[in-house]
Amino acid sequence: MKKFFSVIVWIVVALVGAVALATIAFRRGEPINATWFVLAAACFYVVAYRLYSAFIAAKLLVLDNTRATPCERREDGRDFVPTNRWVLFGHHFAAIAGPGPLVGPTLAAQFGYLPGTLWLIAGAAFAGCVQDFVILFCSIRRDGKTLGEMAREEVSERGGFIAQLAVLAIMIILLGVVALVVVNALKSSPWAAFTLAMTIPIALLLGVYLRYFRPGRVLEASVIGVALILFVVVAGQWVADSPLLAKVFTLSGVSLAFAIIAYGFAASALPVWLLLAPRDYLSAFIKAGAIFSLAAGILLVRPQVLMPPLTRFIDGSGPVFAGEIFPFCFITIACGAISGFHSLISSGTTPKMIQREGHARFIGYGAMLLESFVGVMAMVAACAMPPGVYFAINSPATIVGASPEAAAQTISGWGYPLTAETMTGLAHAVGEQTLLNRAGGAPSLAVGMAQIFSNTIGGERLLSIWYHFAIMFEALFILTVLDAGTRVGRFMVQELCGRVWKPLGRMNWMPGILLSSGIIVGAWGYFLYQGVVDPLGGINSLWPLFGISNQLLAAVALVVATTILLKMGRLKWIWVTLAPMAWLVIITMKASYQKIFSVNPRIGFLSYANAMAAQLAAGKIPVAKIADTHRLIFNQRLDAGVTAVLAVMILVLLVEALVQWHAILSRRKEPVLRETPYVATQWAGGD
Amino acid sequence: MQRFWRRFRQGLQRAWQGLREWSGDAAYEKYAQCAVRGGAKQLTQAEFYVEQLKRKYSRPNRCC
Repeated sequence: MKKFFSVIVWIVVALVGAVALATIAFRRGEPINATWFVLAAACFYVVAYRLYSAFIAAKLLVLDNTRATPCERREDGRDFVPTNRWVLFGHHFAAIAGPGPLVGPTLAAQFGYLPGTLWLIAGAAFAGCVQDFVILFCSIRRDGKTLGEMAREEVSERGGFIAQLAVLAIMIILLGVVALVVVNALKSSPWAAFTLAMTIPIALLLGVYLRYFRPGRVLEASVIGVALILFVVVAGQWVADSPLLAKVFTLSGVSLAFAIIAYGFAASALPVWLLLAPRDYLSAFIKAGAIFSLAAGILLVRPQVLMPPLTRFIDGSGPVFAGEIFPFCFITIACGAISGFHSLISSGTTPKMIQREGHARFIGYGAMLLESFVGVMAMVAACAMPPGVYFAINSPATIVGASPEAAAQTISGWGYPLTAETMTGLAHAVGEQTLLNRAGGAPSLAVGMAQIFSNTIGGERLLSIWYHFAIMFEALFILTVLDAGTRVGRFMVQELCGRVWKPLGRMNWMPGILLSSGIIVGAWGYFLYQGVVDPLGGINSLWPLFGISNQLLAAVALVVATTILLKMGRLKWIWVTLAPMAWLVIITMKASYQKIFSVNPRIGFLSYANAMAAQLAAGKIPVAKIADTHRLIFNQRLDAGVTAVLAVMILVLLVEALVQWHAILSRRKEPVLRETPYVATQWAGGD
Repeated sequence: MQRFWRRFRQGLQRAWQGLREWSGDAAYEKYAQCAVRGGAKQLTQAEFYVEQLKRKYSRPNRCC
């Protein structure tokens, strides 16, 4: 009887999900309520978790709860620490949830709400969650080895090297792109710039408190820090209202870029306890609070989604970034659907803390579902504002014009009604001088979040506070990714340099630290500067590069997973990892090809460079801009080169893997698994 | 009613402990228990805090 009711409940959940999905897919010509998005996503996720992840756990991975996990065999209280599965879920989620699932869907909203939402939901269930879950399992069976180590041992030496290079490449491009998002959110905004600047002394204060006064008392320090941060969000308004202070904190894109580069260098070279760690604590609490508040706000306010399901820009002519819906929607939304970077977390700390193999399903598959849900909420927040406003905020001045009147005229001409007064009034309401041309996704998401929050608490009166809270939240945790990533990048560079000259590899040798910090900051700083001075807003060139490199890493992870599963003899179910891997290879190859060779100068790096070179040759560039144009041409060619290298890496890895798989399947080679031997658990059942 | 309050209190305690573990507040206690069992020389709380941060931030621990 109990089983019968359970079946009925699951059928009802599946039906509700199907109706909600059909509603968001087929509704045309009128706004749709955000509740349908929440219902569709939630029902799809619980059904996917109940059925698909259970199938993977039982048939593909055959999770074994009698097997001792690394934290039982090697418990040391430091890395290998048995952790309650709910706590570990929180750890894992906090580690994988970065700005990607917020920014990607916001940018992809230019295609309309439908493509991005479907990709977020289905991509997570059939690709992203699978990757995270399977890699976590593989790492648990290998004492918590990293993706690079597994690639080297299970695929080939070259596979491991490619994985290592892919990690470094994604790190550099990612950091440049996320820094650009911060620059575009803060430029010409004294309130936002002041708030974010103040997070640095607050973090330093907490760093000293946690190091010397109350070592390790993270909770009490975080409470103090969060209170101070909320205060500076409010105080930012006073700064913006003061003519003198407003002038100090009104910064251009280039000034902000150099400030962020200097910050990244300092965070990498200074002791970790002083700046990086306390900022991370603050960011974790604010991130968790803001995400849950956004979810609660959407459920309470139930806003109407005003963006159409599909816009005219699916043809590739989008103002936010150029490129057709296929493959660019799937490149733009990486985190939230599938993110290669997650495989580094799944093969990092989490496998060393998991108590039972069976928990891998809840933590690996479940946390990614939650991240995807964050992406759906970001999509709702971006699409809940009038489309005209969305395009005015996210389009560069070269396309829509720099004045409210010009932007209103261009965007209205596209069929998305907008008046100049709307944009000036909105900017005034959120306490900004202008909201035009803020490509990058953060400001439009902040406007969407502020509207949802202010409809819940405070009304119009608090709109400007909510807007700056949202900007601070996004910028704070983007900078956390930036400083943590720069530091890890520094270690990678030191490791590589140490092979050439040993002292450079010493982690406590100051000249080595400064040099490697300079190299990694210089690398992502170059991409950042390039984005800031790019007349198309930078996001158009750099976000696809980031998407391609992130999906490359996901392809590496799925190649490793497929190889291991083949060696385990799971040929029958190999499509579970093979299908998403093939999909990723197709979209990354197609996107790479278009980004390099497309004849449309807004898409193809080379055609853009050639168009600029032709203008130079024809003498159409003013003398004052000749040097800038030369730099622009160089940057476009550099981006083409980087994309080509990434594409070649995918192909080389694929060939490596195919050779390996052929050898296994034709029985020419005995499959050798590098699992740690089975040891029975001594722990009783439960947590 | 008494049973309800007892369970409620237990639930709160468990949630508090979970929050402490999630935030890293309880990391030293866990380490100390393990060090006592292993008979190894125990670090002070300040030493452990710095050592733990160095390890944590030398590998990818925050995603995009």
